[in-house]
Amino acid sequence: MAAEFVTAIKTNEIPAGGVTAIDVRGTRIAVANVGGTYYAFDDECTHEQCSLSEYGELAGTTLTCTCHGSEFDVRTGNVLAPPATVPVKVYPVRVAGDALQIEL
Amino acid sequence: MAPRYVIVGASLAGATAAITLRDEGADGTVTLIGAEHEPPYERPPLSKAYLRGDVPFDKALLRPAAFYAEHGIETIFGTRATRIDPSTRIVELEDHRRVPFDALLIATGGRNRHISIPGGDLEGIYGLRTVQDADRIREEMVPGRRVVVVGMGFIGSEVAASLRQKGLDVVAIDPSKTPLFRVLGEAVGQTIADLHRAHGVRTVFEDTVAAFEGTRRVTHVVTKAGLRLECDFVVVGIGIEPAVELLEGSGIHVDNGVVVDEYCQTSVSGVYAAGDVANHYHPIFDRRIRVEHWQNAIKQGAAAARNMLGNYVPYDEVHWFWSDQYDANLQYAGFHMKWEQLVVRGGLDSGSYLACYVNGGRIDAAVGLNRAKDVRRVMPLIKSRHAVDLEQLRDEGVDLRSLHASP
Repeated sequence: MAAEFVTAIKTNEIPAGGVTAIDVRGTRIAVANVGGTYYAFDDECTHEQCSLSEYGELAGTTLTCTCHGSEFDVRTGNVLAPPATVPVKVYPVRVAGDALQIEL
Repeated sequence: MAPRYVIVGASLAGATAAITLRDEGADGTVTLIGAEHEPPYERPPLSKAYLRGDVPFDKALLRPAAFYAEHGIETIFGTRATRIDPSTRIVELEDHRRVPFDALLIATGGRNRHISIPGGDLEGIYGLRTVQDADRIREEMVPGRRVVVVGMGFIGSEVAASLRQKGLDVVAIDPSKTPLFRVLGEAVGQTIADLHRAHGVRTVFEDTVAAFEGTRRVTHVVTKAGLRLECDFVVVGIGIEPAVELLEGSGIHVDNGVVVDEYCQTSVSGVYAAGDVANHYHPIFDRRIRVEHWQNAIKQGAAAARNMLGNYVPYDEVHWFWSDQYDANLQYAGFHMKWEQLVVRGGLDSGSYLACYVNGGRIDAAVGLNRAKDVRRVMPLIKSRHAVDLEQLRDEGVDLRSLHASP
């Protein structure tokens, strides 16, 4: 199936500076609100699979998985600090009206 | 001539230093020397996921084996360094090779303490530090077999958990009143004892092992109090000693490890130490601390490399570690020896709490059981050294981040 934008959540359901998880077409995806800009990524740390919406602590665009301290850049998914070594998968997003749409 | 950077100990600290030297543009040669044959690897999985067979060894490698050559790091693995001569700036290896250096990092880590009691050299008694140690224990891990775990510090506790998770019959012995007693104290330690008992570990506290019995291989563990426990094998985790023998005669100051200042430098200019072996001056706690955990190995290894490059960056990280046991996530941050007050968020008997070790109204350290976010949020409070409102600290309705700004 070709990638397409899917309406996932209302933007006002994602607290500022917070991370919320949703199921989109069977995939558990975390969405972060960084000062009104939204980022979407797999809701699973690449180190030992902790939920990033549950354990993630956001400071600017840096997400710390508080389980074991791995840090990711939510814009790119890149690892900023170990123990994770593998980037977390990120998804393109767009805002349509009051909804956040995620491409997958 | 370009400087020669030499690192003794292809450990997490040593390898991180080598990588950091290259990342930060070191102009010169970087040589990483290690006694183990494997490329540098992380040890946390050895008592947990790797021991249980959940992840392959490759996952524990710090970098792929080819990384070092590709990044201009010369490696000498499987060869122990035996002597350091600061006056001639030479490291001697066990094969009599002599490696000259301009700046040297000692990251030799530690070695397991041995138990010297009757029967201590019987077969079937294991320590755990290297991947070979883990492999030997794995070969014994057949569901239903009986194991005695001697020592319930972090390694003993994690091994006991992994063995129970694999269906072995576990008895754990420790001379203290609880697991992790020396670090966490009785109240918190009791919750860890409960965790292990709830998972079926038989615990024996305030008793020590007097002898191992067996003809060729251990069959019984005898305690001072007179217990005689039948077993198929034994795992001993009673702590480590810093590996400092190569410093003998070097003149480098050794006292509970290699003594270094906040720049990771030893008593000899141009010679540094990091990781488990380094007894370092910590500017926040204003005392020397030697730490045997993953985060310190990485962060201090990197800090030492930056100082080897002449950057003079004090190492003032708030120490932090995790210990996963069963499905519980235990984390500790800070440093404490004794405490006036133990301030608890949540209930110690609830399976989820943050317990803060407080002196003079300041949080010196905190331990969290299934409280990952709270541990992360308390770390700036520890680092600030400010007194905090203990009622707010205890109050679950107060976000710990709101206490960060308080004077």
